Amino acid sequence: MIQIQFFSLIRMLLKQDAAEIPWEAGDTVQSVLEKTQAKIVTPFLHKLLDDQGEPHTGTIIMVNRKNILHLQGLQTPVADKDVLAFFPPGAGG
Amino acid sequence: MTDRYARQVLHWGSEKQKIIEESSLLIAGVGGLGATVSQLLVRAGIGRLFLVDDGRLDWPDLNRQTLYGENDVGRAKLPLAKERLNQINSATEIVELQGRINESFRAPTAIDGVADCLDNYQSRFALYNGLATGTYFVHGGLDGDHGQLLTLLSGESQAFDTVFAGAVQPQGSIPVTPDNVVIIAGLMVNELFSVLWKTPKLLNRCLVISLADFHISFLDV
Repeated sequence: MIQIQFFSLIRMLLKQDAAEIPWEAGDTVQSVLEKTQAKIVTPFLHKLLDDQGEPHTGTIIMVNRKNILHLQGLQTPVADKDVLAFFPPGAGG
Repeated sequence: MTDRYARQVLHWGSEKQKIIEESSLLIAGVGGLGATVSQLLVRAGIGRLFLVDDGRLDWPDLNRQTLYGENDVGRAKLPLAKERLNQINSATEIVELQGRINESFRAPTAIDGVADCLDNYQSRFALYNGLATGTYFVHGGLDGDHGQLLTLLSGESQAFDTVFAGAVQPQGSIPVTPDNVVIIAGLMVNELFSVLWKTPKLLNRCLVISLADFHISFLDV
C-alpha cells in the first residue's frame, strides 16, 4: 500500500487527512495522484497541478520526506509502503 | 525587579530561566510574527536579541503587529521595535541589524538560534543559507486559518529551500488575522525555548495547524 497524507487546504478540501492506495509495479507520483482522485471522488488535482499538468507552484509534494522537485517530479517512481505528502504552506507572517 | 520572572520560574525552574537569560537569538522580521515573538522573548528575559527588518509601519500592519500603534505609522520598524522592547525589559540587549535579508546576508555567529518571522520565501531561503553550520532555525508561516512551524539544524537538516522548493509568493497580500498570527508566534516562542534548552520538539518535523477546525498534524521532513 502507498500512504498518502493531505495537509492544510488540501485536507480541508478533501475532508480527510490520509488515504491508502494499493501499490502497483511502475507507479509514479503522477499515477498515484490519478488513482487517489479516482478513489476519493472529490476533484483536487486542479489544486496541485497547473493547466499543463505540472506541479502547481505553492504546493509541496513529497515522497518519503523528499520534495519531488529534487527527484524526478511527477515521474518520480513510487515503491510499496512509500509515503506521499501534499502540503500547501502558508507564506505570510 | 527580582521577582519579574517568578511566575514562569514556578513552571520551568531556575536552571531553564538561567539558560534563557544567557541566550542570544536572531529575530528575522519584526512584523506580524516577529513583533510578538520578540516581545514574548523579552518578557521571558532573553539575554540578547538581534533584530533584522527594513520595513516601515503601514496602516494594514496595525491589526497584528503588537509592538506598534497609530502614532508609529510611517516610521521605520527596527528602531521602534528596539524602543518598545527596551521599555518592556531593559535587561535584554537589543542589537539592530540594518538592511534587507538577501543572498549576501550572513547571520551573526554569536547566536543560539534564529526565528524566521519573515513574510516571503525568497528572504527565508536567503536567511537559512546565511546561517553558520549548527544553528537552529525555527520557521513560522501562515495564510488565513492555516499555519506551520518547523525547526531545522543548519548543516544537518535538509536545507530550507530544499524542503520548500516550489513554494512561491502568492500574488498580492496574504490574509493574516490578529488571532492567528499571535497563535503561530506563541507556538514559535514555545519551540524557541525548547531549542535553547536543547530539546526541540519540531526538529525536522513540520507542525501544520488549521485554526478553522483546530486540526493539528505533523509532516516529517
